[in-house]
Amino acid sequence: MAGDDAAGEASVSRYLPFFGREREEGFDERRERPGAALLAAAAATAAILFFIIIFVALNGWRAVSEIGAVEFLTGFDWIPSEGAYGALSLITGTALVTGGAILFALPAGLGVAIYMNDVASPRVRNILKPACELLAGIPSVVFGFIGMMFLIPLMLDLFPDQLSYGSSWLAGSVVLGIMTLPTIISVSQDSLAAVPRSYREASMALGATKWHTTRNVLLKSAVSGIAAAAMLGVGRALGETMAVMMVTGNTALVPEPLWNVFSTVRTLTSNIALEMSEVSFGSLHFSALFFTALILMAMVVAVNIASKKIVKRTKAKMTGDLRSGRLSAMAAAAARPVAPYFGIVSEAAMALAAFGFAYMMLSLVAGAGASAAAAGALAALFLLRKRLSRMIGAGMTQKAVYASLWATVALVVAVLAAIVGIIVFKGLPALSPEFLFDAPLSSGRAGGIGPAIVGTLELMAGTAAIGVPLGVLCGIYLAKYAGDGRFAGTLRQAIDILNGTPAIIFGLFGMSVMVIWLGMGYTLIGGCVTLALMIMPTIVKTTEEAVRAVPADLTEASMALGASKKQTIDKVVVPAAMGGIITGMILGIGRSMGEAAPIMFTAAVAFKAVAGVSVMEPVMALPYHLYYLATEVPGSATMQYGTALVLLIIAGTLFAAASYARHRYGRFASG
Amino acid sequence: MEMEFEENIMEADGLDVWYGKKQALFGVDIPIKKNRITALIGPSGCGKSTLIRTFNRMNDLVDGCRTEGTVMFNGKDVFAKGADVLELRKKVGMVFQRPNPFPMTIRHNIEYGPKVHGVTDKAKLGEIVEESLRKAALWDEVKDRLDTSALGLSGGQQQRLCIARALSVDPEVILMDEPTASLDPLATAKIEELATELKKSYTVVAVTHNMQQAARISDYTGFMYLGRLEEFGKTEDVFKSPKSELTERYVSGRFG
Repeated sequence: MAGDDAAGEASVSRYLPFFGREREEGFDERRERPGAALLAAAAATAAILFFIIIFVALNGWRAVSEIGAVEFLTGFDWIPSEGAYGALSLITGTALVTGGAILFALPAGLGVAIYMNDVASPRVRNILKPACELLAGIPSVVFGFIGMMFLIPLMLDLFPDQLSYGSSWLAGSVVLGIMTLPTIISVSQDSLAAVPRSYREASMALGATKWHTTRNVLLKSAVSGIAAAAMLGVGRALGETMAVMMVTGNTALVPEPLWNVFSTVRTLTSNIALEMSEVSFGSLHFSALFFTALILMAMVVAVNIASKKIVKRTKAKMTGDLRSGRLSAMAAAAARPVAPYFGIVSEAAMALAAFGFAYMMLSLVAGAGASAAAAGALAALFLLRKRLSRMIGAGMTQKAVYASLWATVALVVAVLAAIVGIIVFKGLPALSPEFLFDAPLSSGRAGGIGPAIVGTLELMAGTAAIGVPLGVLCGIYLAKYAGDGRFAGTLRQAIDILNGTPAIIFGLFGMSVMVIWLGMGYTLIGGCVTLALMIMPTIVKTTEEAVRAVPADLTEASMALGASKKQTIDKVVVPAAMGGIITGMILGIGRSMGEAAPIMFTAAVAFKAVAGVSVMEPVMALPYHLYYLATEVPGSATMQYGTALVLLIIAGTLFAAASYARHRYGRFASG
Repeated sequence: MEMEFEENIMEADGLDVWYGKKQALFGVDIPIKKNRITALIGPSGCGKSTLIRTFNRMNDLVDGCRTEGTVMFNGKDVFAKGADVLELRKKVGMVFQRPNPFPMTIRHNIEYGPKVHGVTDKAKLGEIVEESLRKAALWDEVKDRLDTSALGLSGGQQQRLCIARALSVDPEVILMDEPTASLDPLATAKIEELATELKKSYTVVAVTHNMQQAARISDYTGFMYLGRLEEFGKTEDVFKSPKSELTERYVSGRFG
């Protein structure tokens, strides 16, 4: 008995030092304030983020006041040298390339998501999921590079009469579509998996097939999540710069006719990247570029807000908090007189749309008669699909559908394997000690990429050193201290805006402030700051989410032992959230590593004999080097593949590190 | 030996079930009498749910689940090669532990099943909706709000909606997997009353944790323990004069 008591005491006293700090009399956690470091980090982050937004807005505003918003938004001609600033052709370019990308990324991504949810065995799922994440980690320039090397020649072979250069809207959409796939797959798969298992059971217990259940119950329940996936994909596509710039031809013209996917286009992002280096600080052209940045940000923000709203609504619907019936019941009541025809009308409308779209596309490559016939056949097939499926029976329908889903998955996996395989196969011969350590010779056709590797590692380290502490502390502050007040609300909004902000806008900001305004020129530190700003919002968000995901019971258990809020956060909450925080951090650094857009006008130069250590000197960097070789240096193919391979290896290493962190810290890891 | 003369609508024979390497059922033999309520009782993890989930082959949905032995339904083995699992599930309906209406309107919840099995006529669907809801004693409560979300109903109403949904495809057997586990006593009483009413036209198999419930509503009771059917017989016999000592201790509340 005595022994038991002693053991009990010992175990209590073990925890005493844990709470042993002196506390003031009458301690009340409701009045407990965050520590100075936390507050300072949050304040600094907030100040920086607001500064970026205000800086972009103010600079853009000049253009609006001088050119006029109407002229800006409706003018077709973007010829800065003649003072013509009509951004409509750029806006159209962005919309068309993005729209085209979503048009095939959505069906393909949804197909893969359904396959993973319905058909794939746990083992296959465990291969597909990381494969998707790996696809997401491939740097943008690498996609652009592969697009230039393979897609464009392939398109020239396929459509010799339609294409003059190969660079085209279609090529841009294909590349962007592949790049948005991971987002669409993972978000829609999550929303399918979030549909309660009991729905599936209820449906199958009634004798429905798995596919029927997916089609009529799961997809209907997950429709908002899938819409959100599409929107996030759009958001990602809108902001993409490097890959698009490398394959779309970059002419600021509206296609003629509007659906001519073979014409060249220029997007808002490419335009900023192409013209940024030519403008003088404070000129009208300079301000006009900022205004196009504002337009881009507005587009991305609108898309992100919409997807957020949708997700929120779905949650409310799933839990029954939202009487989703009310609105739809009203709509049903209003539609009652035409209800018997509603099905027919909507079917006809959809068939007509399918016909119109197919005709438009086909008429670009074939004669009017043949196009009409093929489009008509497609529309007829669409109209007869239900009858067809009834004819062959539920089981056969399921088999047919799952077979086509399997084909989609196989295609996506093949594309990923091809991208990785080609780079590995063609890049391996380039790898040698000289290649890895020496400086480039004859504009990069020979020699090595040593300075670029070192530069990229330096950029990663600097970015992490600046972005991670600020981001993580700010995230903890937001999750645990900020509450829901006005300041926290505004800060969260600022973070949301910057989280979706395209990389090139950070580049524009970094160049104007540091390179020109502060007169620093291209510097390592300028690149690090720019990249850190770019990944900070992501790190803040993932940290906040990871901290919030720690179950309340853990916090309560600690507080119930008499620990203060700060002690609880330091000793219980943050360690529990570590997996999520570290994963977010690594993914953020990985993203910054592969981006060329933010550094191409702040830090990166095409050539440097030796890697420096001074933060005030410019650096070489892998993504920019690859872009430079691919667009400016003919005859450097082997070097390009080698550089792409090194980029992939670094991206893969970071990805592996993130996976390890997630498994190592396990339970509450998010992302 | 009255039970000998009642017709078996289902019958399990030598049923073994594995989840991966873990065996969940060991040689279970059990008859299910037509138009009677059979209750399955036993401590958690004893295999009650696994057993009824073999009756409509819902276990097929579980990765790594393997079944040996036979389950006869109307004289045919449901696991036989070429057996139509969709038709089986139409004839052997199921009600789950937690009410799980689809996130659709009340009407669409009921219409779902008939549509699955090819009913497209609107008038016919309307009839099915009313009839099923009446049989589930829910019609009067919801007839004015058929086009509102089923998730707006109370838990007890939702569970009766799920029963109505199971009835919509005209089953012969209804499997209930702890249908009142998440309901309050009043809602539970309604479901029990409904089950007693349903046995006039259907056969009911109910898994329950609640021994009083089994005693109140069932005609036959099976007591399961560690994956074996320890005892099966008329409810009265199982509760008043159990043959096995284990059963006796369980029904008298001394373990479980």
